[in-house]
Amino acid sequence: MREAALERELLEVGRRLHAALPAATRNPLAAADEKAMELAAQDAELKAALFRFVDVVPACRSLDDLARHLTGFLGEVESPPPPVAVALRMGASRAGRKALGAASAAGVRHMAHRFIIGESPQAALPTLRGLWRDGVASTVDLLGEATVTEAEAERYAARCEGALAVLPAAAREWSERPALECDGAGALPRANLSVKVSALTPLLRPDAPARGQRDAAERLRPLLRSAREGGAHLHIDMESLDSRDAVLELVLELLGEEEFRAGPSAGMVLQAYLRDSPETLDAVLAWAEGAGAGRAHPLTVRLVKGAYWDHEVVEAAQHGWSAPVFQEKADSDRNFEELSRRLIDARGRLRPAIASHNLRSVAHAIAYNRLTGGDPLDVEYQILRGLGDPIAQAIAALGLRVRAYCPVGDLVAGMSYLVRRLLENTSNDSFLADQAKGVGVEELLAAP
Amino acid sequence: MSLPPFANEPVLELRRAPVRAGLADALREHDARGPLEVPVWVGADKRSGDALVSTDPGTPDRVVATSAAATEADVDAALAGATGAARAWGNRPAGERADVLRRAAAALRERRLELAALEVRECAKPWPEADADVCEAIDFLEYYARGALELAEGAELLQVPGERNTMAWRPRGVCAVISPWNFPVAIPCGMAAAALGTGNTVVLKPAEQAPGCAFALVRALREAGVPPDALALLPGEGEVGAKLVRDPRVHTIAFTGSSAVGLEIVRAAAETPDGQPHLKRVIAEMGGKNCVIVDADADLDEVVPALVKSAFLYAGQKCSAASRVLCHAAIHDGLVERLAGAVSVLEVGQAEFLDVDVPPVIEREAAERVARYTEQAEGTGRIAARARDVPAEGWFATPAVATELPAGSPVLEEEIFGPLLAVERVRDVEEACDRVDASPFGLTGGLFARNPDTVDRVVERTPVGNLYVNRAVTGAMVARQPFGGNRRSGTGTKAGGPAYLLQFVEPQVVCENTMRHGLVV
Repeated sequence: MREAALERELLEVGRRLHAALPAATRNPLAAADEKAMELAAQDAELKAALFRFVDVVPACRSLDDLARHLTGFLGEVESPPPPVAVALRMGASRAGRKALGAASAAGVRHMAHRFIIGESPQAALPTLRGLWRDGVASTVDLLGEATVTEAEAERYAARCEGALAVLPAAAREWSERPALECDGAGALPRANLSVKVSALTPLLRPDAPARGQRDAAERLRPLLRSAREGGAHLHIDMESLDSRDAVLELVLELLGEEEFRAGPSAGMVLQAYLRDSPETLDAVLAWAEGAGAGRAHPLTVRLVKGAYWDHEVVEAAQHGWSAPVFQEKADSDRNFEELSRRLIDARGRLRPAIASHNLRSVAHAIAYNRLTGGDPLDVEYQILRGLGDPIAQAIAALGLRVRAYCPVGDLVAGMSYLVRRLLENTSNDSFLADQAKGVGVEELLAAP
Repeated sequence: MSLPPFANEPVLELRRAPVRAGLADALREHDARGPLEVPVWVGADKRSGDALVSTDPGTPDRVVATSAAATEADVDAALAGATGAARAWGNRPAGERADVLRRAAAALRERRLELAALEVRECAKPWPEADADVCEAIDFLEYYARGALELAEGAELLQVPGERNTMAWRPRGVCAVISPWNFPVAIPCGMAAAALGTGNTVVLKPAEQAPGCAFALVRALREAGVPPDALALLPGEGEVGAKLVRDPRVHTIAFTGSSAVGLEIVRAAAETPDGQPHLKRVIAEMGGKNCVIVDADADLDEVVPALVKSAFLYAGQKCSAASRVLCHAAIHDGLVERLAGAVSVLEVGQAEFLDVDVPPVIEREAAERVARYTEQAEGTGRIAARARDVPAEGWFATPAVATELPAGSPVLEEEIFGPLLAVERVRDVEEACDRVDASPFGLTGGLFARNPDTVDRVVERTPVGNLYVNRAVTGAMVARQPFGGNRRSGTGTKAGGPAYLLQFVEPQVVCENTMRHGLVV
């Protein structure tokens, strides 16, 4: 295919997507309640202070304690903007601290609720149904504490079982949405659960994956069975590189087992910011033609850029290793497009799911799929609830299948997730920040 | 002469399977070579023997090295040689000595897996830690090579017309290095490299449990160009060290080991017998009873893995290892529950296997000691968790968490040097600081707290030499976390830090009158 033709198609699709963005939210950072985030995005010290505060909120025992933490963090900001100075003054008196604590707790709760749709799958059902009604499918992610004990692994597995019971039953009542329920390879489950291998075992060690894999497999197999029986999709999330190989190997091994040939529908994640992600895709493709060939449902591959960039860079620097991630965002973006094409080329053998909030990345996949003769529904698009909602609406408006990643859990459990999302949202080279600044559509669609 | 800036030697990236794959081969090759023969090595004379037998702590019938033991005559010969060689080595240009250290670093770098395999067998040091130990040895050589060069430039002094003021640091003379088995290459290497780099000669008495590792180190240094008489190897038991410490020919004693031996050395070195025209200087790194303070706002998701790492990696046999947790009452029970769960799934087994979390301890006596303390903890408090399957053969200690111990319990006050971690409930961080203060030790400490004001307060109050905030308390890196204890934990010198080399030299100031008959030259 000619690059020029692809770029033309991409621009056209991109403009249509942009035009389909809901008017009120074209600038996702402009809402009044997001002043804090806007301020933070401009000031690295303030950003650090606010994030450290958000992170510690669940561990604070009183409004006074909250306020003391907040002023403690803000006190380290060198030239505090006016709102921060006000907060610091409030922190000087007991009554002020009480008011400040209450206000800040409310602020954090508000922010958390934007990303976290409910305390439990049951509580999340109205939101999930609403999304479905609006033409947006979902996948539920159960937030939780880190798993360091067997009991915690068991608890997480039990919560997953619970979700696998609740979600399909509720989803059966939803009205028909053909675009969300089927592609060229067949039917797609309405209920969709994302799980983390690191939460299924306390034994996952980067240096010695085998023991953790064995232990996690003991809890993952029953989940696969439940998903198959309930007719749900089970998606295995990816975390940092420390567990990447272990997770990949485990997923491909289990899904290749005879028992799971007939189901469930399942998926894994490919992280485009990893330099060696093309080789990972090689391995997945080889599997799809080998051990995974006879499966009733092709493996869904969710292509993401990756959410642990800072962690990977720091980890590598502290050990003297070369960074496993691209240092330049443009390189990640280019690799994302490269991998998108390979995944779309493999449609039929794999189910590509393009997960991005970047207008260009999404438009690129849509255009490439169209120019290579794919059915529009052969590619799925995914976004994060709370960040990508406008683009989800735009994708849905084009008649394409889009799925929102919806975290479920309590505030305590949600904080590390929330901080990661906030980091993304305020990162200087993030697409959303560009969009918020009012960067024009041509520039948003420019090649990386 | 200027060298490229110092950077830590990167440890193996063991999270990658191809890197892991090389380890088993290295161990096979090690085993195929058979037991090492470690000589008493004085000047050009190598005398082998089998007075000492070093065995694999996990498989005690596997002999790793047989070693000669130094006699009184060996000590005498080594000190005579080192004394004789001191002037020539000390007069070599600093750049030449730095080159020697860096050549030794290159040699260790080339043999990293081979040396790590030796540590796996001789000291039951698990691969990641054994590799890190060899890397640290390389770091010491590279770091002190640079430091010695810098020191050789002397200090800037104020100059006024008519006088020339210079300050230089001269080698002290013979340095006795007495090293432990737990960092069997890095610690002897660090102490010896500091002494040699600054122009001193060295007589090394390594731990009797790890003569093989010390021999490998001395060989690398000798092959790199340290003159035979400037570096002697005297394997042996405690009395060899005791003789060295008392000998009037020794100027500096660099020691890392137990508090009891360290105090003994400090006392002995204070003597100035006839015929000793100098004061001895002691650089001692001794024991600890390292406390980790956990405030109510700590994130247990991070605290638990960090505590497990700090207290149980290498079976707690690091002087930096965590031994007491002082936890805020508000989260004490939650912490104990999660910690107990994490400890009960620790895999105890042979050091060579990467999926083993806790290897054996160094010798029978150590396993018995840990068992004694655990029994005591059980009798007076509660054992909240124990690792489940502990091999019967080999010197294994059972990792455990003790709680509800009475104040003053030996489990809370004495250094156990094994995989036993005690958790105490405190009212607040102030009370935790009081308890840390009450201990005569001051090596490492930890703090998990997220309020910056709390961190500032603890930093101000704590007597420890190395405080780690919101992370594990082990794993100090050369040039990043210069390491060493205060109080009775050490002489306050910081290995791998900017001032360490000053312990091995004597300052000399020269003021020359440059004016005569009104003429300034």
